Amino acid sequence: MQDSIVRLEGASKAFATPEGGSVTALDAIDLQVRRNEFLTLLGPSGCGKTTLLQAISGFVELDGGRILIDGEDMTDRPPYRRPVNTVFQNYALFPHMTVGENTAYALEVAGVAKAKRREQVAAALKMVGLAGMEGRRPRQLSGGQQQRVALARAIIARPKLLLLDEPLSALDKNLRQAMQIELKTLQHELGISFIFVTHDQQEALTMSDRVAVLSGGRIQQLDTPRAIYDHPVNSFVATFIGASNLFDGRIDGDRLMTGDGTEIRHRRAPSTASGAATALIRPEQFFLAGEGEPFPTLDVDLEAIVFVGSTFELFGRTSAGKKVIAEIPAGRRSLIGDIERTRRARLAYDPAAVHLIHACAEA
Amino acid sequence: MSIAIRRRVQLAVLLGPVSLFLAVFFLGPLAIMMVTSFLAPGLYGGVEWTFYPHNFGRILGFADPMFEDFDPVYIAIFIRSVKIAALTVLAALIVCYPAAFCIARLSERWKNFCLFLITLPFFTSLIVRLFVWVLILRQTGLVNEMLLSTGMIARPLDLIYTDGAIILGMVYVFIPFMFMPVYGSVEKLDWTLVRASLDLGAGPIRTFWRIILPLTAPGIVGGAIIVFIPALGNFVVPAILGGAKVMMLGNLIEQQFLAARNWPFGSALAMMVMSVMLLLLLVYVFVSSRRGADAALNR
Amino acid sequence: MKIAQSLFRGSLVAYTGLFFAFIYIPLVVIAVYSFNSNPVNMMTWTGFTTEWYAQVLGFKTTVSENALYIESTGQLLQAVWNSLVIATSTTLIATVFGTAIAIGLYRFDFLGQRFYRVIMFMPMLMPDIVLGIALLIFFVNSGIHLGLMTIIIGQCTFLISYVFIVVSARLAGMDRTLENASADLGADEWTTFRRVVLPQLLPGIVGGALLAFIISMDDLVITYFIAGVDVTTLPMFIFAMLRRGIKPEINAIAVMMLTFSFVVASLGLYLRSRQK
Repeated sequence: MQDSIVRLEGASKAFATPEGGSVTALDAIDLQVRRNEFLTLLGPSGCGKTTLLQAISGFVELDGGRILIDGEDMTDRPPYRRPVNTVFQNYALFPHMTVGENTAYALEVAGVAKAKRREQVAAALKMVGLAGMEGRRPRQLSGGQQQRVALARAIIARPKLLLLDEPLSALDKNLRQAMQIELKTLQHELGISFIFVTHDQQEALTMSDRVAVLSGGRIQQLDTPRAIYDHPVNSFVATFIGASNLFDGRIDGDRLMTGDGTEIRHRRAPSTASGAATALIRPEQFFLAGEGEPFPTLDVDLEAIVFVGSTFELFGRTSAGKKVIAEIPAGRRSLIGDIERTRRARLAYDPAAVHLIHACAEA
Repeated sequence: MSIAIRRRVQLAVLLGPVSLFLAVFFLGPLAIMMVTSFLAPGLYGGVEWTFYPHNFGRILGFADPMFEDFDPVYIAIFIRSVKIAALTVLAALIVCYPAAFCIARLSERWKNFCLFLITLPFFTSLIVRLFVWVLILRQTGLVNEMLLSTGMIARPLDLIYTDGAIILGMVYVFIPFMFMPVYGSVEKLDWTLVRASLDLGAGPIRTFWRIILPLTAPGIVGGAIIVFIPALGNFVVPAILGGAKVMMLGNLIEQQFLAARNWPFGSALAMMVMSVMLLLLLVYVFVSSRRGADAALNR
Repeated sequence: MKIAQSLFRGSLVAYTGLFFAFIYIPLVVIAVYSFNSNPVNMMTWTGFTTEWYAQVLGFKTTVSENALYIESTGQLLQAVWNSLVIATSTTLIATVFGTAIAIGLYRFDFLGQRFYRVIMFMPMLMPDIVLGIALLIFFVNSGIHLGLMTIIIGQCTFLISYVFIVVSARLAGMDRTLENASADLGADEWTTFRRVVLPQLLPGIVGGALLAFIISMDDLVITYFIAGVDVTTLPMFIFAMLRRGIKPEINAIAVMMLTFSFVVASLGLYLRSRQK
């Protein structure tokens, strides 16, 4: 129990809509965040991830349930009395204060002496790579620098937990990637838990210790990035993270038969010998079948062959009309030449790589 | 203390005193004025506390039991005031609209400088700005002196104490009121839409009527209303530039209060002016609520 | 096509030039002619003099040796003083009230809030003559003696509106997440207000106060009705002079007022532009 820094028990929240109805933002969520963990809340907009973050920071009052931080009940505490700090999406730097004043703010309102404040500000700014920038105004800084000030400001009071609300979404791609690595390093140095909100699955996979995929106010799956990618519990998670080919059908021994007669082989789920299920094959798990291919295959008519640099993306349909996406390494140009001419491809896959989602796991 | 109660106390402290002040000294006087407009005038000034609905009939020209037979003089003044106010709106629009387009396309620095120049007169005395036009328009004023000395006219022209002088004076003092809303709309105008219209084959004139005018209409309507309202009941401009010859609603009301001492009739006239204002405001709120209601009010 | 376009552009620029000429040439004209020595026909130039300024300021000169205007200089100064007293008091009251209402309506959601907002626009839009006579009837009926006090109260009713609108605009442009950031960093409500909201609001409050001061100094109509017999303000003084007849001294007063307000307004706008 003590290895969790945050515990949510049955956290619920509904918002009234202007039309008089209500929307469930949090549907009795249970969540435990471990100490020194980088946890990402991932989901499409409106899935409840920002509401969840604001419930932890105290800007959203729960309709039901409890929030405990480090064993203490925080449910009814105002935001300014919670040991949690936030890096806001648009940084929310105070425009009338200098970088130094912004950074020192949490210490100042806590009544820390001036000399000590200055020392800690210098240390915090150094940590985020902005040493000596105390005198600047926020608007004189670039987006990336403002981002760093927001970080320094949020960590200076050593919160037990740092919340990050899509902090990288306003940065351009290169800067975003650099910041991803820096954030991860910073988290290790500080030794505190980060809860990071994003709608960018790439970001979630690269940075997190664990990812919580949210939809409709519920946590669909909470696991390590690899587990979520390889073994999604339902088709929402499978489609939200990465590209996927999903085949709905019934299990019959070591094969899955879809309604339109396609047959997918697998090596999973000996326990459920029959029943409805969905088979997942990631595009990169397909390869072009050779002569006398030992692996099971799927014949597709190609609609488009797109060159994206390291790979070719093949967009095709099975004879039953089901859409299939495959990713083929671009190294073997001769094979591509063949299929470009015939507009047909025989795709092979390893049955061991096929993941089965059972119907009962669907939300 | 619970959060809800604390919020209530804060709200009461913030809004209580000022609400009381406005209720007593703003709504109160308006209510008393409304009551007064339904009272009978005393013979030598003052008010008789009896219900007397004839003040409004008198404005429309009907005979009233005390003063006169059918006489449309007041309704004529009312119509004339509306006409002058409407012409002022039109003239101010003609003055400001093209300039707004020119200024909106300047660089940021020049834009700000031009806006500064336009708002600057607003910060100077209204009466001084009107006095300037007396010096220019009167018989021995600048225009007449110049025309006489060049020999273009033999006798001075009657420029001052005319409807035209009043409209000129009002346009002059209300320029910022018209310019700012119009400019607001013009600056927001998306020029790619204009280019799209031209690209789709509409000529410049059709593009103006179908694209530019409708898109800048909110500013035009807003400017028209905030110029029309003070123009309708204006009393300073006619008093200075209209002389005794041109009577407008504002002067008529002043006369009823300070000279004729018929307060109920003056109140009834003021009620007319106020209802026109409320009517225009309602129209504006209604129109603007149909496209993004709060944007208009929250500005 | 090209020629038509540049012709159109050119005429638009010319039109805008005329637009500014229309605004400023009259002001330049009276500034120049306020130094005209012709005492009767003010627009016929007969020579340069500072005589009229000297008279307004109460200096004895060769022309005004018989000191016809000394008395009115005293009245003028009294009117200026009255205007300053009124403007200072109304600015203080209207700024506090207007700011309070703006913050109240911004910060809290309550029933009738929209209605309240509309009501707050009414005093500003109310034609001044209507408000003037309504206040007159009210004060006379309630037996309050007309004077400085009634002027201050009367002006406040609509000046509150102006301050409210300026401060509200500033509040509407404020980033609400800054308050969340402050709370998140451990500041309670009062600290957040003092350290985050107020400093950002200050330009709006100062702007509203400046506007209230200027409008109060300039108000003629409402003041005219509720001033009573004892008190004269600067606009009332000039209005009365104008009604009696036009003399060169009015010109000098007008130019001095123009200069003063131009300097103050320029300074105000300069300070604001530096703050940005």
